[in-house]
Amino acid sequence: MKQNGGKAGKGDHAALADAFNKDEARVNWHDETLWWIRQKRDKAAHGVADWELLRETASRIKENVLSGLGGYLEQFEAAAAANGVTVHWAADAAEHNAIVLGLLRRHGVDKMVKSKSMLTEECHLNEFLQEQGIEVVDTDLGERVVQLAEEPPSHIVLPCIHKKKEEIGEIFHEHLGTPAGNADPQFLTHAARLHLREKFLTRRAALTGINFAVAETGEFVVCTNEGNADMGAHLADVHIACMGIEKIIPRREHLGVFLRLLTRSATGQPITTYSSHFKKPRPGKEMHIVLVDNGRSVHLGRKEFRNSLKCIRCAACFNTCPVYRRSGGHSYHTAVAGPIGSILAPNLDREKYADLPFASTLCGSCSNVCPVKIDIHDQLYKWRQVLVQSGHAPVAKKAAMKTMTWVLSNPSVYHTAGKAGRWFMLNAPFTVNNGMNPWYKQRDMPPVPKESFGEWYKKNKK
Amino acid sequence: MSSRENILKTVKGNQPEWRELPELKALGAAAGGVDLSGEALADGFVKVLEAIGGAAYVVSGYDRVGTILRELFPRVGRVVSGCPELGFGEAAGGYADPHELEDVGLAVLSAHFGVAENGACWITEDRMIERALPFIAQNLALVIRKKDVVANMHAAYEKIEAMGLGYGFATFIAGPSKTADIEQSLVLGAHGPKSMTVFLVDEEMSDAGFY
Repeated sequence: MKQNGGKAGKGDHAALADAFNKDEARVNWHDETLWWIRQKRDKAAHGVADWELLRETASRIKENVLSGLGGYLEQFEAAAAANGVTVHWAADAAEHNAIVLGLLRRHGVDKMVKSKSMLTEECHLNEFLQEQGIEVVDTDLGERVVQLAEEPPSHIVLPCIHKKKEEIGEIFHEHLGTPAGNADPQFLTHAARLHLREKFLTRRAALTGINFAVAETGEFVVCTNEGNADMGAHLADVHIACMGIEKIIPRREHLGVFLRLLTRSATGQPITTYSSHFKKPRPGKEMHIVLVDNGRSVHLGRKEFRNSLKCIRCAACFNTCPVYRRSGGHSYHTAVAGPIGSILAPNLDREKYADLPFASTLCGSCSNVCPVKIDIHDQLYKWRQVLVQSGHAPVAKKAAMKTMTWVLSNPSVYHTAGKAGRWFMLNAPFTVNNGMNPWYKQRDMPPVPKESFGEWYKKNKK
Repeated sequence: MSSRENILKTVKGNQPEWRELPELKALGAAAGGVDLSGEALADGFVKVLEAIGGAAYVVSGYDRVGTILRELFPRVGRVVSGCPELGFGEAAGGYADPHELEDVGLAVLSAHFGVAENGACWITEDRMIERALPFIAQNLALVIRKKDVVANMHAAYEKIEAMGLGYGFATFIAGPSKTADIEQSLVLGAHGPKSMTVFLVDEEMSDAGFY
């Protein structure tokens, strides 16, 4: 399996987006598909009269969670333990992976089914377990597709949104033996159903993610449309559920707020098909929860950026983002892509993810659709400043910004530069429209105005 | 120090000043586009459930449930029922292993209540026979009383609280299992049931029109 990011990614967001942009028809299709989901989200949100009050309430519940996280984690642990669930704590990805491996080894399990968990993507659990000789089968259809294609998911809710049905047909033909050339979604889904049913029925361990964990009761909620988390967990002897420590909510009644928001924001459905509340293991079986920090506790101390820990992973910010829609999820070279990923990733590794806060137009649409009111575009802007100051900004950007500072702080230089720019674009376009200028990539520029606004204003102000 | 102590120490050192929880009372005055007045709740529930790929029938009692199920699923194979009033289906319970349920064609279970704004039904494990059953069956039918439809999720959790049911596992089910992972084409029957039928029993309803 290719890793997210790092060397396998070959380059930063701009370079990876460049590769994605080579196929214009595909980019347009990707763009339109995600925009359609954004429109479904709008329709669902507008159908709820108190939507804005819901968002405000969710945001304030999450602010309360962050302000009392330590206590809530202890409360959750005690309640879960009282329910007969074993709670584990993992400081980082390595410890998380080791805990999961330890549980599987203890039960002599070398094959496991897994439902969607972006946390395990963040921790690169699959790769780790495979190196230890343990087979992991992703059971979410989209995740199974990218797993067979040896790619990471490109979207946290729609993992194979970048794939055409013909490509999925080919992957299934190669791995599941479906007839060559059959790309009918109904047929392919049925083939996957049969293929995965066999896995569900024969695996003794199941790993799931967690959408919400209730401090008050020790129960946790897993939301799926396919039913794959439930198929895995209820047929297995051991259920391991992994969560980032920020997934805690104080009381069960708060689920009412979040379940109303989550799926409407994600896909425009009123709720997922299944919202399963796991509290106690089946008699004689085991249930484990792994609480994972992996940088979150440190992030909590960053006043300007801690709000990103409110995220409920609906991906509304992905679907609305003009940059995500046209650059694809893989261009972000991190487990959680899109605008939210761009403000989460630099917390983990500033060097590696310094490019991501720049992969945005700062249009603010992400913040407008966010169901928990994270100030995403403000944080993108703030991260840029932090990264430039700490010397992590891309070199070309630093040089360009220095020049801009000089131009913008000298009115006469500014006016001359403007004039020169218009003259060159009009009379010698090749000097600006060339490979050196990224603004011309996959873009048609508007006609050049004859005069600047300043000149026009002077002429017309009387 | 263990990871637990380390994490808690860092979290407590870094968490911001305490923020009070918001009130939830004002929420849910309007359900998701659904009329909240008495009779309209069940109608709203049916409308939403049908929109998300489910089917709904308002019936006078279990006689009608049985008749409709026989018509809908004439050759469904193994039927497991958690509703003794139904009069057919396997006498449920006592399975040594949930894997024994892998070939169930239809599961008929009694759920607690429905939610008008999203077409979901709440069911706790004591009514599932086995936790796996509502998921592993090829088709799922749930029975609720027509008067047990609440407006929205806030009302749902209030009801769950008020019922005081202890459960080890419980779930909201809204429609058949589905996926749109392949080019956003909606396909019903991903891993779980390919169909979901909800019966709303109205004891005051007359059967006269049906026969």
